[in-house]
Amino acid sequence: MSNNTISPETLRTEYVIPEKCVFSLNPSGFLAADIDGKEYKRVILTRSLPLSLPDEYICISDIEKNEVGIIEKISAFSPEQQELINSELSQRYYCPVIEKIESIKEKMGHFYFDVVIGGVKKAFAVKDITKSIRQHGDAIDVTDIDGNRYRITDFASIEAKSRRKLEPYLY
Amino acid sequence: MGKKPKRDKSPQIEKNRHKFPELLLKKLEEAGLCTENLIFCCTGDMDNDACYRSAWLSFDEKGLYIAYGTEELMKIKGKKHIEPKYTVEEIVAIPIEDIDKLETERYVSTGRLISVKDGVQTSLVKFSIGRIGQFDNLMKAFNSFKEKGEAEIPTSAEPEDKKCKKCGKPCPPGKDFCKKCGKNSAVAVRLFKFFGGYIPQIIAIIATMLLGSAVSVFIPQVSTRALFDDVLANPDGLPAAELLKALGVLVLSIFGVKLLNTLLTVIQQHLSGGIMPMVIYDIRVKIFKAMQRLSVGFYSSKQTGSLMERVISDSNNIYWFFVDGVPSVIIDTATIIGVLILMFVMSWKLSLIVIVAMPIIIVTLVFGDRFFRGMHHRNWLFGARVSAMVSDNINGQRVIKAFAKEDDEFDRFSKASEDLMNSEIKLTVSEATLFPILEVVILMLTTVVLGFGGVLVAKGEMTAGTLLTYIVYLEMLRGPFSFLSWVSNWWSRCADSAQRVFEICDAEPDIVEKENAVGFENLRGDIEINELEFEYEPARPVIRKLSLEVKAGDMLGIVGKTGAGKTTIANLIARLYDAKEGNVKIDGIDVRDLKLTELRRNIGLVSQDIYLFIGTIADNIRYAKPDATMNEIIAAAKAASAHDFIMKLPDAYETRVGAGGQKLSGGERQRISIARTIIQNPKILILDEATAAMDTETERNIQNSLTKLKAGRTTLAIAHRLSTLRDSDYLAVIDNGRIVEYGTYSELLKQKGEFYKQYKIQSEALKTIGIGTSEAETEEE
Ligand SMILES: Nc1ncnc2c1ncn2[C@@H]1O[C@H](COP(=O)(O)OP(=O)(O)OP(=O)(O)O)[C@@H](O)[C@H]1O
Ligand SMILES: [Mg+2]
Repeated sequence: MSNNTISPETLRTEYVIPEKCVFSLNPSGFLAADIDGKEYKRVILTRSLPLSLPDEYICISDIEKNEVGIIEKISAFSPEQQELINSELSQRYYCPVIEKIESIKEKMGHFYFDVVIGGVKKAFAVKDITKSIRQHGDAIDVTDIDGNRYRITDFASIEAKSRRKLEPYLY
Repeated sequence: MGKKPKRDKSPQIEKNRHKFPELLLKKLEEAGLCTENLIFCCTGDMDNDACYRSAWLSFDEKGLYIAYGTEELMKIKGKKHIEPKYTVEEIVAIPIEDIDKLETERYVSTGRLISVKDGVQTSLVKFSIGRIGQFDNLMKAFNSFKEKGEAEIPTSAEPEDKKCKKCGKPCPPGKDFCKKCGKNSAVAVRLFKFFGGYIPQIIAIIATMLLGSAVSVFIPQVSTRALFDDVLANPDGLPAAELLKALGVLVLSIFGVKLLNTLLTVIQQHLSGGIMPMVIYDIRVKIFKAMQRLSVGFYSSKQTGSLMERVISDSNNIYWFFVDGVPSVIIDTATIIGVLILMFVMSWKLSLIVIVAMPIIIVTLVFGDRFFRGMHHRNWLFGARVSAMVSDNINGQRVIKAFAKEDDEFDRFSKASEDLMNSEIKLTVSEATLFPILEVVILMLTTVVLGFGGVLVAKGEMTAGTLLTYIVYLEMLRGPFSFLSWVSNWWSRCADSAQRVFEICDAEPDIVEKENAVGFENLRGDIEINELEFEYEPARPVIRKLSLEVKAGDMLGIVGKTGAGKTTIANLIARLYDAKEGNVKIDGIDVRDLKLTELRRNIGLVSQDIYLFIGTIADNIRYAKPDATMNEIIAAAKAASAHDFIMKLPDAYETRVGAGGQKLSGGERQRISIARTIIQNPKILILDEATAAMDTETERNIQNSLTKLKAGRTTLAIAHRLSTLRDSDYLAVIDNGRIVEYGTYSELLKQKGEFYKQYKIQSEALKTIGIGTSEAETEEE
């Protein structure tokens, strides 16, 4: 019988140790870090699994986009540190949230969406609707012709009328 | 800095493309901004906290200005176009001394404009990621102005939002109208245009159809009314023999009329059978041609599964609708009209009942159409996914087998098929629910008519024959009505297909030949790349300010890490994509000014991923020059070291390759592809990892023959294996879209930089396995 698990020696990722990785804000309000005694004036955090595991496997890179470490779990950090990490991540991963879909009209292969975002009406057009809509868990991401993304955080909980408008395009 | 900013001097900028619209400028003036000397303008859609808000950014010699406000699109009375109405709420001015330079940062759905002063970054404004191109332009214009006192306005700058001028909906990049307004001719109109060349036939077809329906509407008059009232009821009290004779005449005329009807149907089918295949041929050819016209960018952004679906199944959908659907629509509509008229003539009282029932039927029809359109679309999506999965599976068979994933693949497929099945069941069930409703309505109608008509007959207001005929007519309505109720679905399916077809036809190729494009007089083969910048997606630069020069007849070797942008450079030289900034010149002529066919005929690109077409090996080799002689083919194959292995195949040069043909190894395919390029005899030869899949000896052989061919040819060779590039006159090391090292082989080795490092690693590897790199060692000294 073959054993399918990889032995820890062959493939192992080094994660940063919360005690040796301290985040702070630099004077201009961007995230800075001290990792293993090395100082980084500005670091960039990237999620490895932005859709399914937004709080785990976070890559830390310097301003040149060179990776300097990986956080295994945000929850291993102290609450203050977590707040810094999360606020940086929420900046980077901010995505306008669709609250209501007023209409979706199809004309000549383009789909024209009229939606409400943050209480403001917003119109955008989507091409190739199958590839532009991505469902993950309860959420749905829609990408418009310019590459802008919009999110429905919990599809099941938005009003039924909006849901029915989008439903034909989901699978 | 003190210099007056130069404005609008560049000939490439037409109509102040980088300026705000007049209406907005006026508002900004009113809000206290001096717009006189604005150098560059750009529109944003968020504030610094990523809340949606119109933001207008601009700068002049004194500062950078961010104005916030709203933009509403108003329909102006008496005008066809809509006009935006601007309100400016707030203006933030930042003195130019407070900014050393601007930066943009790309996030997932948003981007951010940042100012830098003494190394301190300050976030200025955020924007939707789709605008990053505009903000990049602002950044470049500002930074160049700061640096040189003169703003370099990127040629692609366009500050305005892309909104349809007619309805305000977002529109596709580079267009003034949205798809809806831009193409005012509806799908149907466009489809019918395909029939434009066949007007006489169409008229003949429609005429026979109408005649046919008139005849069939007339039949009950003879077969029912005349039979009952004039013969069977025997109103004139004729003797039996006379009656029999009248009956005979009647029966014969019924037969005659029915025969005539059948004849007309046959004629109609013959006529339409003659033109429909031609029309569909036109449509198919049009799609295919449109596809050829499109640039590689289009193909890399679409699933080929759905593209294939479009060409084949969509044109079939259209075909069957026009062959079966449209004639029935015409016949049935004509029948309904004719029958209704006759019914009114026969008895307006009974017809009133029918008129009352009509709205119910129509409402059911309209409701059904709406309801089924969405369902059909969904069904199509599921179908497309299943076929994409099949093609994915077929293309990936080797990987699937290697990982023993057949069962998982099967599960995935059956899940998708199940979805399709469920959606089809839902559709069929819904359709099966709607139709009986219609049937019941018609049945009720018949019953009421029969009862009421019976009363009329009893009162003597109507003959029995007329009532019977009336019922026959009512029955005649049933077929056309249920057909018309579902033909709308059919039509929606056809319209769906037509829409997808037109989408391809309407897609604008990114690469278009200029109107006054030039050809080569006498091509030498100088390549010159000036400050080339390129990105596949906005703000993800792949090539950054890259300059290179290759003299005619020289060979340039390009090395670099994977993903460095080597293939991209080759693509840009062959103009498979267009540069964002900077240019590629051949013999001093910008490739964008050259005739595409001429350019590509003179560039031989042996690309990294090789494609062999369905056909024989000989066909594939002479692809670029169909009239090549067998002599040339063999010579080319020999030069590419392909001859020997080809001769080992049972059918030699006539071996079928490509999809479904003989399988060849990676190196064998590469060699065929090299032979193909050798036959093309291009002035400029680009070898993108052309020999990477071959053993060193074969590579050396090919190189020797290429060296012979090299005379008078400019060669660009991309390779990872440095030994491949030993014959290069010059070498360029590319990293991250830039040239990091440049020089001859030995110069680069002396520099002890990146190239030397790579060289060391590769020769070390050879040493450890016991292969001396004697020649290389001598060079190292
Ligand atoms: N069609 C495309 N759309 C978007 N990005 C692309 C596309 N083609 C290439 N890229 C990206 O552009 C960058 C450069 O690609 P390119 O193919 O030029 O690299 P390369 O130097 O030829 O690499 P290799 O040695 O692996 O062939 C890569 O980061 C790649 O991901
Ligand atoms: Mg490549």
